[in-house]
Formats: sequence, C-alpha cells, structure tokens
Amino acid sequence: MYSKVILALCFVFCTTAYAHEMTPAYPQLKSSYIEGVLSAKMKLFNRRQDVSYYLIEVFTSDFKPIPFASSSISTVSSKVIKVGYNKSKIFDVYIRSNDIDRAVYICTQSKLFKQTDQISLITSRVCSKIKDK
Amino acid sequence: MDIKTITTLAFLMPATAAMAVDSPISGVVEPKCSIWTETAGVYGHPLPYKLTTKPADGGVKASIRVDIAQADYYKTKFTHPNSFSSSPTLTDAVSWTGSTVVGAVGVAGMSAYEAAKVTYNNVTEFNMTLAGSTWFTIESEASYGSTKSLPAGNYTALIVAECIAK
Repeated sequence: MYSKVILALCFVFCTTAYAHEMTPAYPQLKSSYIEGVLSAKMKLFNRRQDVSYYLIEVFTSDFKPIPFASSSISTVSSKVIKVGYNKSKIFDVYIRSNDIDRAVYICTQSKLFKQTDQISLITSRVCSKIKDK
Repeated sequence: MDIKTITTLAFLMPATAAMAVDSPISGVVEPKCSIWTETAGVYGHPLPYKLTTKPADGGVKASIRVDIAQADYYKTKFTHPNSFSSSPTLTDAVSWTGSTVVGAVGVAGMSAYEAAKVTYNNVTEFNMTLAGSTWFTIESEASYGSTKSLPAGNYTALIVAECIAK
C-alpha cells in the first residue's frame, strides 16, 4: 500500500512535463513582399523549461532539406529562433517559388546545450505539412 | 403604489439592464500536436561496460506524452539513441539497443497503436488515429566493446521525438 502511495506521489512530484507545440498543422503559402518568394506564418509555443532555442527547417516529402529564409532575428542564426519558457513566437518562413513543388514540411526542432549534466536528453521536433499549392 | 416607490423602481431598471452585458471568452480548437517530455530518462551503470535505462539496473526509462487535438492529423516518430552526443574518447565500438512502446493511453482505442507500430533501424513510428493523450516509454542500452570498462566522464545520448502532420 505504502509503495503505491509513494509511487503515486513520485508520479506527481518527481516528473515535470514540458511541451513543444507548433501551429498551424497545415500552413498555407502566400505571396510575400519579395517577387518569386512565398511565405507561411507559423506560431511556436515553448512550454519546455529546458529549451530556449528552436531550429526552423523545411523539408521535401522524404525529409531532404530545402533552402529557405525566416523572419527570425535571433543573434545565433536566421534559422534559429529564441523562445522563452511559456512564451509563443510568430515567425514567417520564406520559400522560393522554384522550390515550392518540392517543399512539403516546415519543422521546428528543439536545440539543447551540449554542456549539460543530464545523461539522457530528449529532442522534440514538430512538423507541419504545407497545404496543397 | 406611492410616488417614492415608482421613482426608486425607475432608477433601478436601467441599472439592472447594464449588468446584463455579455463578456465573451473566445477560443479556437485547431489540429495540434504537443510533445511533452515528462521524464527525460537516466542511464544506470550496472556493469563497467554497460549503461542502461532499465529500472532493475538503476536506470529510469524516458517517458514522453503526445497530445493530439484532432484525430488522424499526425503521426509520431521516436528515435532511440545509437550514439553518444557527447562522451569521453572511446577507442572501441559501442553496441546499442533500445525500444519504444505505448506506456499508457488516454482513450481505450489507443492500445491498438502498439500492435500497429512500424519499427526500422532505431526508429519507431505510430499512426495517431485518435485524439487525446498517449504516453510512450523509451528504453535504451549501450554496451562498450565486448566487456570493456567505459572510461570515466560525462555521457550524453539523445532521444528524438517527432510529430509529423500527415
């Protein structure tokens, strides 16, 4: 009985849940202010206390990378976005119209610091599928 | 009814009308997938050459919850480690094993995910056909050389949890 109580208490207090979310699931590409470039507006919500940076990626259907630009103004890279804990950020992804037929997924992947005391780490990646062009 | 009562009522009527103003709270439900890292997982060190997340060997299995807001919009992919992302210099090969299983489910029908999962290399895929929460348990084990002692130092291995719109 006591072991069950301890296990139940441990389930509540020993574990801390953190989440990574990105919407919309099916973004639509629209004409941007640059000719020959389309853009999609995405929203990232960071509920992971252990993560502050997310890498933006664009892939083909078989997860081959596609060149793109983003509206991220992070000092790290134009493809890395800084999002504080419990904060959301809206960002634009710009894709050349030449690459539109190949572009299928827009993803964000959590980036973890290399120097950490934790021995096992979890990287999360959420991918949205570009709505039929 | 006297004039005093009529005057009081006349003043109260507009006041009660003002209290009936609506104050709506709006919200949008859209297809969404959330990856919750509930337990990061810890390697136990039962033998000099082995690191394992098995609780019997002093480890802790990783637990990840996936919340799906709308049924049949996403698939999930879990990659258990097949290398250390950081470690001391290792001169011999490390052999890796691991698995991902459905740990607990929020909706009874999700139990079928386990039988329908697709496994290749160190990746396990699940088709999220129902809305709700599913808990996945990830196990990992690393053995160094045949039975060589792992050098002292910090070891880090990465689990990748993915949610991909279908």
